[in-house]
Amino acid sequence: MRTRDSLETDTRVVDAPDVPREMVEPQRGQVLDDPEKRREESAESRQQADGDWERGPFKAPREELARFDLKRAGLPDMTIESAAKYIDEHRDSRPWLAMADRASPEARRIIAALDAAGGHAHIRHEGWVSEEANRRRVAYREDPAQLHPEKRSLGIDGLRPNDDRHRSGDAATRITDPDAFATAFVRGVAHPRVREALERSVASDRRPSEVVIPITDLLGPKGYRHCTGWRLESVDENIDKALEDRSKWITKRAEGRKPDVPEPQASPIPTFTGGAIVFAFARNDSEKRYEVVTMFPRPVQPQQADDHPESVKGAR
Amino acid sequence: MTSFYWERHPNGPFATLIEIATTYLEPENYDLEELKSLARRDDDQEMRAFKLELREAVQDPSRLPGDELSRSVQYEDGSPEAFLHRLWHDLYGDETP
Repeated sequence: MRTRDSLETDTRVVDAPDVPREMVEPQRGQVLDDPEKRREESAESRQQADGDWERGPFKAPREELARFDLKRAGLPDMTIESAAKYIDEHRDSRPWLAMADRASPEARRIIAALDAAGGHAHIRHEGWVSEEANRRRVAYREDPAQLHPEKRSLGIDGLRPNDDRHRSGDAATRITDPDAFATAFVRGVAHPRVREALERSVASDRRPSEVVIPITDLLGPKGYRHCTGWRLESVDENIDKALEDRSKWITKRAEGRKPDVPEPQASPIPTFTGGAIVFAFARNDSEKRYEVVTMFPRPVQPQQADDHPESVKGAR
Repeated sequence: MTSFYWERHPNGPFATLIEIATTYLEPENYDLEELKSLARRDDDQEMRAFKLELREAVQDPSRLPGDELSRSVQYEDGSPEAFLHRLWHDLYGDETP
């Protein structure tokens, strides 16, 4: 785990003063005059119309968040005060930290620690990512973490080295509320299967497989309403073809040529009822252990037929 | 349904192939180079099973369970056949599948 700051000893307090959670709404005139803002407004409107997004704040379990031992997740230790200092010092170069302004102090401590570590869940799957950014991620493979506009439009990853291309599956999702995000992380890290993955030896084992935990287990029965996402629309009812066509379309566009496949289309995911939070892991070489590299909501998957042929058995 | 194929069918067809391909190639946590390193471990029983299943899948993709591979790995090759051939070549070069 790398840290960018020297962090003081944890002296957490539960009743630290909160900051205002109001969001600054743009003026209507500004929205109409600015094509980018119009697209943002359009995506938000579509998500509100087609999804079951709850825009009100998530009721944070603040004492539970305050008790969370950051080191248990391999994160650098922070106090509420040192987290606030970290966010102030880095908000210009790491603009996703702005979403912590809407968080409770206890959630802010966790988000700041995540940022000081190596994971990217809070960069691509939290409230900083707008509906339009997620729509563009899944439709055009534009990385919300890429801060250079031209590189973003070319599908270049914002976190990988060497201008590697960004990757996206058929859905781009987020937890919209920072307190809900921090709560999902804290409870997920305590889950036995995530613990098992984090405690796996890096010396002898392959990377742990992803772990899925139902949203209700982490955020309660209404937690799904704090998740939103966009899904790539199928082509000829075939998602393989849609993913292939998207790749062709992006390549042609990047080369300045006219794509010979239709422009990719994305739609809001109507609900996350019955869905899960996925935890993915990667090796942290400096700490010689595995860490949660990302965490994101996944809508319920269609049921597959369970009568697979037994003629082909793997050598497991 | 929230669980993965290999959790629902730990002894099912191609469970090792689908699990390992997902773990290293799913777009949110993609790392082909790390999978290449893993594939070179001839002494690893799980990777031997992976190679065996990949070979069987390349030879006859119709035996794959439904769209489990596609849904989990989210490749952009257009079909399981194309993905499996590319993956074999990426991991094992010119070796005959």
